Amino acid sequence: MSETAENLKVLICTGTGGLASGAASVVAAFEAEFEKKGVAAKIGSACDVNSTGCRGLCANDVLVDICKPGEEPVTYDFVTPDLVPQIVDEHVLGGNPVEKKVAGPYYHQFLEKQQRIIFSRCGTIDAESLDDFLAHRGFTGIQKAVTMSQDEVINEVKKSGLRGRGGGGFPTGLKWSFAKGSPGDTKYLICNADEGDPGAFMDRSVLEGDPYGLIEGLMIGAYAIGCKFAYVYVRAEYPLAIKRLQLAIDTCYEKGFLGKNCMGLGFDLDMRIKAGAGAFVCGEETALMASIEGQRGMSRPRPPFPAVRGLWGYPTNINNVETFANVAYIFYNGADWFSSIGTEGTKGTKIFALTGKVKHTGLVEVPAGTTMKEVIYDVCGGILNNRKFKAVQAGGPSGGCLPAEALDAEVDYDSLIKAGAMMGSGGLVVMDETTCMVDIARFFLNFTRVESCGKCIPCRIGLKIMLEILERITQGKGQEGDIEMLEDMAYDIKKSSLCGLGQTAPNPVLSTIRYFRNEYETHIKDKECPSHSCKELLHFRVIEDKCKKCGICPRVCPVDAIEWEKGKVAYINLDKCTRCTSCYDACRFMAID
Amino acid sequence: MVNLTIDGKQITTAKTSTIYEAAKENGIYIPVLCYAKKLLPYGACRICLVEVEQMKGRLIPSCTTPVTEGMVVTTTSDEINKVRKTVLEFLLVNHVVDCPVCDKGGECDLQDLTYEYEVVTNRFQGEKFDLPTDEVNPLIERNMNRCVLCGKCVRVCDEVVGYGSYSFINRGFETKIATAFDRGLNCEFCGQCVSMCPVGAILPRPFKFKARPWQLKDVDTVCGYCGNGCTVTLGVKDNQVQTIRFNEDTGVNHGNLCVRGRFGYSYVNDATRLTKPLIRKGGELREASWDEALVTIAEKFKAAGKDLGIISGARLTNEELLLLKRISSALGTHHLDHSGGECYQGLTAGLNETMGISASTGTFPQVEKCNAILAIRSDFYETHPVFGMVINQAIRLNDAQLSVIADKRGKLSKLPNARTLMHKPGCEINMINALCQVIIAEGLAKTDDLQGLAELTKALADYTPETVAKMVGADAEAIKKTARELAGAKNAAIVVAYGLPYTAHSKEIAIAASNLALLTGIAGREGSGLYLCGEKANSQGAIDLQITPGPAGLGAQQMLNSAAEGRLPVLYLVGEDPVVTYPDQGLVKKALEKSFLVVQDLFLTDSAKYADVVLPAASFTEKDGTFTNAERRIQRLRAGIKSPGEAKSDFVVFQSLLNKLQKTAPAAPAAAFGELTGEVAGYAGIVYEQIGPQGEVWGGETLAPLKKVLIPVAGNEPLQAEYQLLVGSALYHSGSVSTRSKGPMSVCPEPYIELGRDDAVTLNVKTGDMIQLKAAGVTIQSKAKVDNRLPKGVIFAPYHFAGLGLNRIYTGQSVIAVEPSKL
Repeated sequence: MSETAENLKVLICTGTGGLASGAASVVAAFEAEFEKKGVAAKIGSACDVNSTGCRGLCANDVLVDICKPGEEPVTYDFVTPDLVPQIVDEHVLGGNPVEKKVAGPYYHQFLEKQQRIIFSRCGTIDAESLDDFLAHRGFTGIQKAVTMSQDEVINEVKKSGLRGRGGGGFPTGLKWSFAKGSPGDTKYLICNADEGDPGAFMDRSVLEGDPYGLIEGLMIGAYAIGCKFAYVYVRAEYPLAIKRLQLAIDTCYEKGFLGKNCMGLGFDLDMRIKAGAGAFVCGEETALMASIEGQRGMSRPRPPFPAVRGLWGYPTNINNVETFANVAYIFYNGADWFSSIGTEGTKGTKIFALTGKVKHTGLVEVPAGTTMKEVIYDVCGGILNNRKFKAVQAGGPSGGCLPAEALDAEVDYDSLIKAGAMMGSGGLVVMDETTCMVDIARFFLNFTRVESCGKCIPCRIGLKIMLEILERITQGKGQEGDIEMLEDMAYDIKKSSLCGLGQTAPNPVLSTIRYFRNEYETHIKDKECPSHSCKELLHFRVIEDKCKKCGICPRVCPVDAIEWEKGKVAYINLDKCTRCTSCYDACRFMAID
Repeated sequence: MVNLTIDGKQITTAKTSTIYEAAKENGIYIPVLCYAKKLLPYGACRICLVEVEQMKGRLIPSCTTPVTEGMVVTTTSDEINKVRKTVLEFLLVNHVVDCPVCDKGGECDLQDLTYEYEVVTNRFQGEKFDLPTDEVNPLIERNMNRCVLCGKCVRVCDEVVGYGSYSFINRGFETKIATAFDRGLNCEFCGQCVSMCPVGAILPRPFKFKARPWQLKDVDTVCGYCGNGCTVTLGVKDNQVQTIRFNEDTGVNHGNLCVRGRFGYSYVNDATRLTKPLIRKGGELREASWDEALVTIAEKFKAAGKDLGIISGARLTNEELLLLKRISSALGTHHLDHSGGECYQGLTAGLNETMGISASTGTFPQVEKCNAILAIRSDFYETHPVFGMVINQAIRLNDAQLSVIADKRGKLSKLPNARTLMHKPGCEINMINALCQVIIAEGLAKTDDLQGLAELTKALADYTPETVAKMVGADAEAIKKTARELAGAKNAAIVVAYGLPYTAHSKEIAIAASNLALLTGIAGREGSGLYLCGEKANSQGAIDLQITPGPAGLGAQQMLNSAAEGRLPVLYLVGEDPVVTYPDQGLVKKALEKSFLVVQDLFLTDSAKYADVVLPAASFTEKDGTFTNAERRIQRLRAGIKSPGEAKSDFVVFQSLLNKLQKTAPAAPAAAFGELTGEVAGYAGIVYEQIGPQGEVWGGETLAPLKKVLIPVAGNEPLQAEYQLLVGSALYHSGSVSTRSKGPMSVCPEPYIELGRDDAVTLNVKTGDMIQLKAAGVTIQSKAKVDNRLPKGVIFAPYHFAGLGLNRIYTGQSVIAVEPSKL
């Protein structure tokens, strides 16, 4: 191991985002180039090309770090295989970074306000290497945990103040104590990695970037509760995550880290991946357990809670990926260290997945208590195309939309709920002035309506009727009283639904009504969409004083319906127009309504 | 116990209760839609939501939430009512609301709730369902446009029946209940889903447009088919049984029925029922008056005296059997027997030798709480489907381990965790002996006050699991596991079913099973039991009343032998059709031809065609009295309809006959029951009028053995033949009377010969091809049915159908060597 510190290292992001941008060919290009040019001999040290996990700034993939011994690492973004020879020649061999290609100051700004704890290994270590993991404090947490009694481990977690990162924010230590307290020898531990919120991918990143870290968290949990079998329920749409985690589990079995007498520490733990079959509702814990049992993923009534009667009728503890990832670090650094981060009610950091109309989409990890504004503007560089911020949807389909006034809300469980959203799993969808809030409510409701398991009546039928009303409104067929009807239905559905899906599904509607009621009213009364986003309500007119005469709209029009000459305002011939909205989407000046 | 408050009322209830159950117990009404007493809590419909002070902020489903100490519950408030009403409005948006033509109209839960909550208008709008209805099968119609997705059909089919025909498919609003690949329903057609459906989504097709529910008179009685003794509720209109209805509050079966019980009633309304006595004149059966018939019979009987042979069915009531016994003693004959004499009597006789009793030692509700169950014969579910459901419940609710000693796979083999101990045909005793051997050898036996242990131990030396496994092709390890489970279980049950197609070795099997029950301590232990299940509704009653040969009397088979040789001049068949159902058809026909034959039955059966006098009898739906089921439960039958024409109940016929013989007879079944309580040990103290909905179990819930004697019985050598025929029961039929019922006949209309896949390939036979079986020079032919439950070389044929003539080659063997060939 000692040698590796002397080696030249190339860290290449090979998370799903990186791979989608061509990371695999970049890895191959570096390896080929090193080989071809005999770089190792020339610089006098071995060259490691490491496939790491995601480092957050997915918008700028492929990200590559060149770490020369004794020097600060240099980060390149938007790397393609063509660029590799130049980097090798000029930087690795020549000693001068390719300045034009080095990631700009935004990269440092992106990292500056973050506190990357869970992500400390993602993007640094080779995700598939147990040795690399061990070199980065891997499995020291569990070694520490087993020196304590089960109750002491649980108390340590309680003391840390860790709350469930799946969205509910239930204190993790308390949850563990319930499962531990349930009688019986057979107990199960489940890691919920069925991350299904639109625009959320932080769990995937952890699974892909630090699978051993997750295994360590599960080992600590299993030891504390007294489980001998752990399931990781990963959605099947994460093939890379499944592959890497499976590889990690297999390696652990091979090395005796899992199975009988794990690591020689005196406890047994078996671990298995269960690939979810594509239902959002399987992220709900009771439906998830039904799915593991081979049943249809449908929610079951609670109580009895899983800690009493869970998987196959045995006491079961379910936590989210990020929660388990946190656990490992609590045992590396101690509960006091952990509880020193964050706010009164929310300790530690939280990972957010930023998508939508934000400049630097990707994953950020910030201490709880950071404001929404800091996350969107300071870390992620603000709104795309410098448009005006309108709202951010926090907490996925179960959460709510926060307007500009609420941007000072701190990201912790309690403040977000107070503001009308929720922490949820950590997806943040940023919306600018072109986004219609009625349409967003419709979008999320369409998602939950399709993903409802169909068991309870309010969720199965109620959501569909709410959706139909929203669709009507966005089509200009809204009626007086629709808003009140939606609010009333939302209330009844929240009150009467069986599981979390139905109980929270109306939230996007309620929060958009709360903050953007005027948009609903304009749709209903004036049959206008203030954001000019609802297709049925667009007029396909060019607004003369907004048009900058740039000529982009005629170029994107597929049916040549736009007449334009250089220096003139464009004109849309409505007889030819097919209302496809290409021009509207292309116009950067909001000059088409 | 837990204390809580519901609507201001202080309530103390069991810790395991839900809020709904606690409320119901105390007469507090909470509306429900998806709740069902016999199913696990589900919580889908949200109609039963209540407020709980300790769980503020949301509404709590009362049907799934357990009670906790100090809970304060409110069952109605403006908010609760509003939410309930909203839920109903939601349902009615898409429901087709075709109540005027829906058979459920009038007893539909959705209709009732809509009415109760005055959902006069609907605030919401939406599309109406327009799904195709499933009318592929003849018995159960599924109209998913009326479905409220309460999931009761899915749950009952899984949790109770263990078939799993239904599942939810799709997601969200498109969710619906469907079969595999959304095809037409094709299952065992027990109709549990029909009985559970709260709306008109699943309906019995034979009842379509027959009557409005409120036009039906409900009559609770006992099913006339098997020894399970299920309560059936006759839906009567126009002196016809229009349907069999659902009553989960009465009887032993929680409203569960099988295809026969639920759909097999139409024979009672059949136009071909006998309506007048017939007397053979000039070689032909001609209609005659009752008096003429009775006078003729009385004369013949008197002339025959002690040489009269009486063979009765086991579907007569206890009271009728008592009178029949009086007739036999009035005439001085000891030749009295019943259909069970061929099989069930052997079983009970075996038990009598070992334990001094001749009935099951436990009751069905105890089986539900068992941890280990051994079923002897794979056909157990087929002969006693509802008892099979009880076993399934033990597996589901109590995690019981089921083992099946089987010569072929059946429904029981498919239940969760079922261990099928396969063996070569005819070798059940070898298997049971091996189980006993393991228990003794491993020191697991409960040997207190057992007699004959040394002899048995010695005799079992040749029955080590390894030896038996090698001999009969079984798995030695599986035998050992089963033996250990049975010996170690807190509560265990051994169940044996019997019937006319299983006449061989019945006494020996009973003794072997008793040995096992004694060694494991199962017999007579509270919660455990040995269950002997006769084939017919009153098989146990016939044993209790000793409808068996008297001293030096002949049994059924011997009577037929004797009659065939011309030594028994007069035969009286009551409710039996031996030409179709008894072994050795040639012998039976000869016997019936040679004797003066009196047949008393519902139909002009194949046997009745040989009769000199035929008396038209009444079905179980037309009479009062009692049946005793396989767990010794005495239950009351109640007449729902009048018999057709001049047909009379066996009770009335026997009364008249006794009068003709110058004997007195009790005036009514109640009086007859009073007399038999004085004569039948165990029945003493039971009062006819006081027999309630759950019946009366004679001998108590657990019947203690009077002695504990172990008796060695030898196993059998497997038959050496390439192809071996097993005779048995099919699920859709019971005896031969079900073949006259439209329901069972619509799904299993004709005889068949069943082959395993391997044999089908060897013989080049596909389902539906005609094949022939040859045995001892006789051939029978039928359509083939290819399945995967038979081991190689084993062929199966059900015995119910007259058309097959199976008893031309079946003469009582446990297994028959046959030569199959394709036609």
